[in-house]
Amino acid sequence: MADALLSMRAITKTFPGVKALDGVDLTVRPGEIHGLVGENGAGKSTIIKVLAGIYRADGGSVKIAGQALPDVTPTAVHAAGVRFIHQELHLVQHFTVTESVFMGQETATLAGLSRRAMRRRAEAFFRDALGSEISGDTLIRDLGIAERKLVQIARALIDGQARLVVFDEPTAPLSSSETDRLFAAIKRLKQRGIAMIYVSHYLAEITAICDRVTVLRNGQNVCVFDEVHPDSAGAMVAAMVGRDIAALFPQSDRAPGCVVLAVSGLGHERFQDVNLTVSKGEIVGIAGLIGSGREELIDVLYGLKRATSGRVVLNDTPLSLRVPADAVDNGIVLVPRDRRHDGLVLNMSVSDNVNLASLDEISTALIERRAKGAQKAREIAQRLDVRPRDPAVVARNLSGGNQQKVVLGRWLTKGATLFMLDEPTVGVDVGAKVEIYALIDRLAADGAAVLVSSSDPGELVGLCDRILVMLRGRIVAELATEGLGVDHLVAVTTGGQAA
Amino acid sequence: MTLTQPLTRRVIDSIPIAVFVALFLYIGLNSANFLTLATWELILKQAVPVVVVAVGLATVIVAGGDDVVSGGIDLSIPATATVCAAIIADQLTNHDTAVAVALILALGAAAVVGAVNATLVVRVGMTPLLATLATSVAVVGVTKVITESRRIGVSDATILFVRDGRIVGVPVSIVMMALIALAFWHLVHRTKWGMHLQATGGSRDAAEISGIATRRLVALSFMLAAFAGWLASVFVLARGSGSSPGTEETLLLEMVLATFLGAAFSPRRVVTVWGAVLGAVLVSALTVGFISIGINVFWTGCIKGALILLVVASAAAGRSQ
Repeated sequence: MADALLSMRAITKTFPGVKALDGVDLTVRPGEIHGLVGENGAGKSTIIKVLAGIYRADGGSVKIAGQALPDVTPTAVHAAGVRFIHQELHLVQHFTVTESVFMGQETATLAGLSRRAMRRRAEAFFRDALGSEISGDTLIRDLGIAERKLVQIARALIDGQARLVVFDEPTAPLSSSETDRLFAAIKRLKQRGIAMIYVSHYLAEITAICDRVTVLRNGQNVCVFDEVHPDSAGAMVAAMVGRDIAALFPQSDRAPGCVVLAVSGLGHERFQDVNLTVSKGEIVGIAGLIGSGREELIDVLYGLKRATSGRVVLNDTPLSLRVPADAVDNGIVLVPRDRRHDGLVLNMSVSDNVNLASLDEISTALIERRAKGAQKAREIAQRLDVRPRDPAVVARNLSGGNQQKVVLGRWLTKGATLFMLDEPTVGVDVGAKVEIYALIDRLAADGAAVLVSSSDPGELVGLCDRILVMLRGRIVAELATEGLGVDHLVAVTTGGQAA
Repeated sequence: MTLTQPLTRRVIDSIPIAVFVALFLYIGLNSANFLTLATWELILKQAVPVVVVAVGLATVIVAGGDDVVSGGIDLSIPATATVCAAIIADQLTNHDTAVAVALILALGAAAVVGAVNATLVVRVGMTPLLATLATSVAVVGVTKVITESRRIGVSDATILFVRDGRIVGVPVSIVMMALIALAFWHLVHRTKWGMHLQATGGSRDAAEISGIATRRLVALSFMLAAFAGWLASVFVLARGSGSSPGTEETLLLEMVLATFLGAAFSPRRVVTVWGAVLGAVLVSALTVGFISIGINVFWTGCIKGALILLVVASAAAGRSQ
């Protein structure tokens, strides 16, 4: 297409063991807002990083305004007028708005910085280009999140050379009124002829502001929507999800028993009025996008963050969870989302990691009995099929799936009543996923209550008995997974459809 | 965050200032001539070496961030100042070297210290606190080798002029201090280079994304700090009429106190060059004030240590809010 502003053709990128991009095409026309959607791991962020020059593509070509870029480097892309609004704000808290906007591109004379001129230019840019009145002398730490986002946008665009702006999940931390404010700014930029790529999980936003949409799945662009209507969300979800997720999940007949965990009216900065129950032998899923409050809910239930209101009752006993030890003492355990940082001591052996939570049980008079610990670790490694089977191996050298088994194994030695798993299968291969799913299912079958928080809708539908959907800090739906379609869950999670 | 926290934070932030105001009120009420011009000239003259090393430290903290443990800090500046003073004194008194040559030799030594610090922090990736503590100890050792731990008196005309000279009635050292402070202030707070330095200390990621060469800036900040140490050596020599062993200890204490106290006075609660200058003058005033009301000299160190603790703890508490 000759009139394309950006034309990426047949982009391929392989990481060790994973084909992240497999011949992806992405075409952006001048002055359009182009949506880029796909599930986690579909290749959205990889293709954006290829465009940014952060990753080097293994194959394919990139053309900007008809000019081929032989070498896609951050400098070359910047010179071609492409700007990135990263998900992280990257602002200095104690800088003023003006200082932040001009960071790295200040204007100065021999007498020093041209502070007044820079402030006027920044304020004029906010007024004219973004439709917002922001004083240049305000400190970043005194601004709301939406305004900080606008500062970030202004910093990318103040030099007036931008032709294509890439937004990566810009609304994730914003409330809905803040989102409207950002959209007003984006629409003004569009009127000025700036093209945009808009990456988001929120399909309602995609259908509201995008002119065209490219859908990625498993590293391929499965389709391009040339026209976007509010009701295109359903077709997009179908394209994103595909139809090939079955067969990964165990089919067991578990009968949920009495209620183990009952949460009522729980509140925190990032979520409000959460009510939920989990029964003995039941697997309950929590779905929600980044910023939905899902992560914070798990943190509060584990005592990592404090609730501001509400009650948590476990086996008819009200709990006060101030630190994780409170949760663990009461039989609540967490397999955290970032197992490399929070779940494992990477430099310790598998045996030491497994026994970390239950040192009391293998110790006699405060002396750790290593032989007993090693024996226990061997049993766990065998039961969970950790490979290599040797408990003396250092945890760092295990694959993601096996590390996750070690984390799970630690709690198995402890005998907990409520298992919480946060993103249990992120970064593990399909084979390990199947094993982890079977393990979770067996936990429930053995009588544990299980709460799974995940950003993978297929996983939730396949694994759980019930799913609670969080959206912008509230539980908006409770769905039974019996006969539930993944596309319906995605539509509810992304705000594309009411429950 | 609840609404009460900003208030708690304001209270915590203002504790250091409140304590200083109380101390000065106490001194002012108990010493008749504390508020005379002569006393304040003495205070300023005493403050000169501290001001100069403190602006050097402020530059490093601006570039490295003000986290006391992982941020920028350079504990070796006072040691640099004393080794330079020792070299100059040794050259002038024991080797009859020309003053310019002695100064250049000392500058070379300072540059080596700065380069070592920069390499340890930027290349090797050591925590500035540990890296500069180590260089500081090593440099103090070198000083002892040069001076054999003895005082070396200096009677060179240039050094004596810095001690006693006046320009339109104002002591030379005070004029020079003002010029040095102005130069650092301009560089750090009024130039593009300085903004890049501040951005680097404020958020390394943000600065890098904006295309700022953060590693080079951090390295340069350590070179500038060593340069400040060299400048301070002249005033150390002038103030003591020669090089004396152990000068770096008081200087280190007062430098750290002055610089972090300066942050308490800045509207944004960050370390700044002018804040460090103000802090240094106040610390000097406190020292002179304690003497003027007859507090035992040995207690002064204890009180200053407690004040450092107070200022740094208040900064840490403010951050954790």
